[in-house]
Amino acid sequence: MRLPLTVISGYLGAGKTTLINRLLAEDHGLRLMILVNDFGAINIDAALIESRQDDTISLSNGCVCCTMGAGLYMALGDALDRTPRPDHLIVEASGIADPASIANAAIAEPDLSYAGIITLVDGLNGADLLRDALIAPQVAQQIKVADMVLMTKCEVPSGALAQALDDHGLCIPRILQSDAPVVPLLSDVLPLPKGRPTAPHPLYVQWNTDAPSEMSREQVKARLQDRPEGLYRVKGFVDGPDGMLEVHVVGKHMDIRSSTATTPALVALGLSDRLTADQIDSWWRGC
Amino acid sequence: MSEITVFAAQKIITMDPSRPEATHVAVQDGKILAVGGADCADASGPVSHDNSLAGHVLMPGFVEGHAHMMAGSMWQFAYAGYHDRIDPQGKLHKGMTDINAVVSRLRDYANDLPEGAPVVAWGFDPIFLTSERLNRHHLDSIATDRPVMVMFSNFHLMCVNSQCLDMVGYSHETNVEGVLKDPNGDPTGELQEMAAMFPVMRRTGLDFRGLSQTPEAVKTYADVCRLAGVTTITDLFSHMEEEDLAVLTQVTGQDDFGLRLVPVLAAVGAPPQEIADKANRLGKQSTDKLRMGAVKLMTDGSIQGWTARVKWPGYVGGHPNGLWNTPPEQIFDLCETMQANGVQMHIHVNGDEASSVSLDALEAASRKHPWPSARHVLQHCQMMGPDQFRRCVEMNVCTNIFSNHIWYFGDQHAALTIGEDRATRMDAARSALDAGVNVALHSDAPVTPLGPLFTAWCAVNRQTMSGRTLGEEQRITVDEALYAITLGAAYTLKLDAEIGSIEAGKRADFAVLGDDPTAVDPMALKDVPVSGIVFGGQVQMN
Repeated sequence: MRLPLTVISGYLGAGKTTLINRLLAEDHGLRLMILVNDFGAINIDAALIESRQDDTISLSNGCVCCTMGAGLYMALGDALDRTPRPDHLIVEASGIADPASIANAAIAEPDLSYAGIITLVDGLNGADLLRDALIAPQVAQQIKVADMVLMTKCEVPSGALAQALDDHGLCIPRILQSDAPVVPLLSDVLPLPKGRPTAPHPLYVQWNTDAPSEMSREQVKARLQDRPEGLYRVKGFVDGPDGMLEVHVVGKHMDIRSSTATTPALVALGLSDRLTADQIDSWWRGC
Repeated sequence: MSEITVFAAQKIITMDPSRPEATHVAVQDGKILAVGGADCADASGPVSHDNSLAGHVLMPGFVEGHAHMMAGSMWQFAYAGYHDRIDPQGKLHKGMTDINAVVSRLRDYANDLPEGAPVVAWGFDPIFLTSERLNRHHLDSIATDRPVMVMFSNFHLMCVNSQCLDMVGYSHETNVEGVLKDPNGDPTGELQEMAAMFPVMRRTGLDFRGLSQTPEAVKTYADVCRLAGVTTITDLFSHMEEEDLAVLTQVTGQDDFGLRLVPVLAAVGAPPQEIADKANRLGKQSTDKLRMGAVKLMTDGSIQGWTARVKWPGYVGGHPNGLWNTPPEQIFDLCETMQANGVQMHIHVNGDEASSVSLDALEAASRKHPWPSARHVLQHCQMMGPDQFRRCVEMNVCTNIFSNHIWYFGDQHAALTIGEDRATRMDAARSALDAGVNVALHSDAPVTPLGPLFTAWCAVNRQTMSGRTLGEEQRITVDEALYAITLGAAYTLKLDAEIGSIEAGKRADFAVLGDDPTAVDPMALKDVPVSGIVFGGQVQMN
C-alpha cells in the first residue's frame, strides 16, 4: 500500500498552521502524519496529546506531528519506515519552498503516492507579496504549481489581489469556509475508516461507481485528459484489454499504472460550485 | 610546576606584530609560555629542549571558518573527482580526467568490496569533462550485480547503474522530473535533485546523517584537518541534538584528539526564540576543544547553480534571478531575535542581493538591540563590493570570503553566470581589506578541498583553472592572506584571544610547515608542504 503525500504550501503567515490545526482536530479516523517546520504555532488540544518529545507529538486519535529537524528527506524516510505506516502523510512546505520539488519526491518514490499540492494565499497580504520584487517569483510559483489554491483570512479577494494574480497569470483562489472539512481535499483513502461519511459538506460533490466500463490504457488516458474543470480527485481501478489499471488524479496531476487489484471501482470528488455528480457521471460514461 | 618544553624551529612566523619572527617557542600546560630565542623561557625554571621541529617552519595553527564535518567522512566512499585529492590517511588520489579513468578506478574499488555491497562514489564533476555524459552503461561496465552510484561534486546530481534503476522501478514508463531519459525514452541513469535520488539512496542505505556527528566522522575530520595544518575548524550548519552533543563532547575530550571544533547550529526547524535559547544552552556546555553558541543562517543559493540572489543586472544570458532559502522577512526576524539574545550569527550570502538584505537585517536588529561587539559574520560574500564592505565596517560585521571559487569556478562565472566584468571583482578580498573589514578566507570543504594555504594562494594569485588571472586588482599580499587564515579567521569565531597567533598566553597550536610561505614565490604558496601540527603542545606529524 503506497503512502499518499499531500503538500501544504504558502508563504509565511498564509495560514498553513491553521489548516494543519484543523486537520488534526477533524473527526476523520485517519492516522495522519504531519511533517512541520516547527511546532511554533501548532495548537493541539492538550487532552488529545498522548506523548510529546523534542521532535514528535503523538495524539490519542492516532495522528502524529513531527518536525523535520535533519531535513525533509530524512523525515520522509522515517515516515515510510514507521510501523504501523500512517494512512496519509502531509508535508508543510517552508514559507519559501517550491512545493513542486517536494511533490516530485512523492511521484518518484514507489512507496509514496502523490496526493496533491494545496497552496494557501493570504487574502490580506497576498497582493503586496505578489508585487514585492524580492519574493514575488517564489510566491507566484507556489500558486502556479498547486492543484488547489485556497484563500485565507478573507471571503472575497480584493481588487488589488485579483489584479496581482492576473499580472502573474494566476487564477483567483477558492475560499475554504471555516466549517468545511479539509480531509476530502487530501484524502487518498476514500472511503474513510469506520464508515465515516466522506463529503457531507455542501462544498464538495462526490461520485462513485462499482462497475466502471472496461477501457484500454489509451482510452483511460484520453478520458482523464478530458476531465471537467472542478473535478479535483479521481481514484480507483479500471479493467480492460491492458489488464487492471490503477487510476489516480489530483488537480493537474494524473497517473495510470498497472495494478494487481482484482475489483474495479472508481471514486471522484469535485467542487460543488463547479460541477454536479451527474456531470461527473456523464463525463465518465463519455456522453 | 609542570614541565616546560622549548621547541626550536627553522623559523616561527608568529602573526604577533610585536615579534613577527622567532626561532623558539616555550610551551607549558598546552599554552605558549614565551616566544623568542632558545633562552626565552629560562627565567621560568628548568626547561627541556625539543629539536624535532628544528628543520621546520612554524605558523599559528590554521583556522578554517567555513567547512562541514562531511569533509572527513565522505572518504568512506570512493573518490571520483577531476582534481587530485588527499584522503584522511594522507593517501593521494589522482584526479580522473576522463570517464574511462573513473570507470577503471571504480572497477578496482568494487573488487575489494563484499559481494553485493553498493559502490558509492563522490566528487564527480561533469563540468570539467568534455566527453559524453556519464550514463548507466558506463556504470554497468563496473558492475551489474550490485548497485553503483556516482554522486556529483555538488551533491545535487548522481548517476546510477541499471541495478539501481530496476530497484526503484525507473523505466521507460517513468515520468518523473529529474529522471533523465535518452532519445529512446529509457532512463540514462542520471538523476537530478533529491526527489529523484531519494528512492535510490533509501534502498541502498545511503544516509547523510551518518556523515556527521558520529565518532568516526569526527575523528576523520580531525585527520583531514591535521593534514592541512588546521587546528581549529567549524562545522557550519550543524543539526545538533542532545545525543550528538554527547558524542562530540566525548570524542573531542580525548587527550589525543588534536582539533578545536566549532559546531555552528543550523538556524532552522524551530521558531527564532527557541533557536536562540538552544544556541545559548549549547554555548554554556562548551569545552576547550568544543566551542558552541553561534548559529548559521541560510539566505540564498549558489551562483554556479544560478540560485544565488543577484542584484541588477542579474545573470548573463537572461537567466532568471535565484531563490531565497529563507525569505527576507524571516532573515529580519532571525537577525533581530539572535541579536536580542546575544547569539553570534554566521550568515550565508552568495549573491549581492542576499548580502544587501542581510546587512539591512543586521542594521535593523542593531538599532533595536545595540551590540557593537557581536561580530556577526557574512559567509561567502562572493559578490560584495566596496559599498557593502563599508557597511560591514560601520557595523563591525566580519566577512569570510570564498576565495577557492576563483580557481574552481572562476572561468564558469566569467563565461556563464555573472559575466566577465563582475567575475573579475568576485571574492573581493582586496576591497574588503582596503575598507577595513575583518577578512577570513575559506574552502567550504568538502565543496572544495580543505587547505588554508591553497585558499590563501587563491586570494593572492586569483588564478583560474584555465590559468588566467581573474581580476588582478583584487589580489592581496601573502602576509595579508596568511593573517586571514589565522588571526582573521580566529576573530570571526571570537577565539582571537586564545588562538591565531604565536604569543605568550595563547594555546600552543601550530602548523608545522616544510618551507617558509613568506619566502617562496607567491605562485608556490599552495605547494608549501604541511608536515603536521602541534596541538596544545603535542606534536602530531603527518
